[in-house]
Amino acid sequence: MFTLIKKEIEDHIAYFIGAAVLSAILIALLISAMYQPEPRDMPVFIGLSIPVIVILIVGFPAMGSTQMYTDRTRKISTLLSTLPVSRRQILCARIITGILAILTLLLPLTITMVILFPLFTPPIQMYLGLVWEIFAAAFLMAFACYCLGLLTGWNSSKIIPTLGGLVLTSILLPLIFVKGFGLHTVVILLLFIIASLMRTWHTFMSTSL
Amino acid sequence: MSDNVVIIEDLVKYFDGRCVLDGINLKVPRGYIYGLLGRNGSGKTTIIRILLGLEPPTRGRTFLLDAESTNLSAKVHGRIGYVAEGHNLIQNYKVSRLIKLCKDLSRQWNDEFFNHLIETFRLPMDRRVRQLSIGMRAQLNLSLAMAIDPELLILDDPTLGLDTVARRQFLELAIDIIQQQGRTILFCSHILSDVERIADRIGILAGGKLVVDCPLEELKKRVRKLRVIFPESAPANLYMTEIINQQNQGREMIITVANWNQQKQTVLETFKPSSCTEIPMSLEDIFIECTKPSTVPVTDE
Repeated sequence: MFTLIKKEIEDHIAYFIGAAVLSAILIALLISAMYQPEPRDMPVFIGLSIPVIVILIVGFPAMGSTQMYTDRTRKISTLLSTLPVSRRQILCARIITGILAILTLLLPLTITMVILFPLFTPPIQMYLGLVWEIFAAAFLMAFACYCLGLLTGWNSSKIIPTLGGLVLTSILLPLIFVKGFGLHTVVILLLFIIASLMRTWHTFMSTSL
Repeated sequence: MSDNVVIIEDLVKYFDGRCVLDGINLKVPRGYIYGLLGRNGSGKTTIIRILLGLEPPTRGRTFLLDAESTNLSAKVHGRIGYVAEGHNLIQNYKVSRLIKLCKDLSRQWNDEFFNHLIETFRLPMDRRVRQLSIGMRAQLNLSLAMAIDPELLILDDPTLGLDTVARRQFLELAIDIIQQQGRTILFCSHILSDVERIADRIGILAGGKLVVDCPLEELKKRVRKLRVIFPESAPANLYMTEIINQQNQGREMIITVANWNQQKQTVLETFKPSSCTEIPMSLEDIFIECTKPSTVPVTDE
């Protein structure tokens, strides 16, 4: 399994580099915004969320889609399936790689927020769950988008993997704006993720390689 | 542990409503080299893909090393070497990286033997797979399949694209493997002379059915091509079963008969032929006769 995860990371290293670079930029922006004298420039905070949303819409579905599309066209799983590797392991390694890419983006950002927020918020009791709610919603959102990419990527046509994930993500994303962060969003996203993964799992396990 | 390494039971496969395999039954005993022959599109590769669990069957069951193909574990896969038609290698990988990946994923790896093969084939490690010639890809695929010391080696047209020297090297290698106790090879090829050279047992697919399944020597004995000269014009019908092909020209008749035996010899003699001579048949001749439409089965059962 470790070899398969390593292979997936190496094959899609561009996404990891992209996530790490973006995370570093966002952290830098966050720190510089926090150190601004009062009143803080709110457009900076709003501006920070835009690249994250763009990455969620484009980056993670693209990663999932690329993983499945290149597998299908280059017959990677066909080779791997003839080695001592099961299809289940191939797909699990792929999903773990996706989760790692998402964490590459979100984890440093969340840690930075956990450290900075108590330092710069007004001297009142801060709702400690806020950062974790944001993290959980962003993570699940990114993972749901990634799962949509996986779902639409297992296709020999180029149009469906490219547009399918994008369209479905565009439908999914407004959810977070309508519902906000919280339990409702988490439940809906979880259901969405489970449905996407089950469909991807079924397709990948039963199809001809 | 079964004596049969490969078992196919009543295998049926449809593609888009077209029947490619129609009730195939086949057993490959341990330690045999089985040559599976058939024309393009006859279903050879489909059988192999179903055996390896890469393709689901429409009906029927297949087993490899006592495990059902639809549920082959990673452990069973680790005992099978496979050289695919067209060589399913990851094209954008460097040779060295592909080798490392296969090595890391394999349960056993014979470094000494693998390095010997790489040196024999002179494979460049620093080039990408897509930059290799078809022959080199075949050699790389074969080396990867052999490095795991497989109990069962499945070769789907492995010599396609190899030059004469490389083909000879490959065949010698296959013979070397079989000499190691208990090794079995399932071998598909269009080059009949290769199959004739190494196979113990032959299967011929035609019209979705396995029309031949018997040892090579048995096949040569059972399928007879005869030139029969009659005193007057040759009879239109010999009232004989299992005639694969019959051509009449004046007094001369050339017939190809499956499952030739004493009974058929007696039937022929009732027509009092002036002479009857056997025309020697190579495997290629038998193959051509057997893949004609409405061929009768030639089996050892």
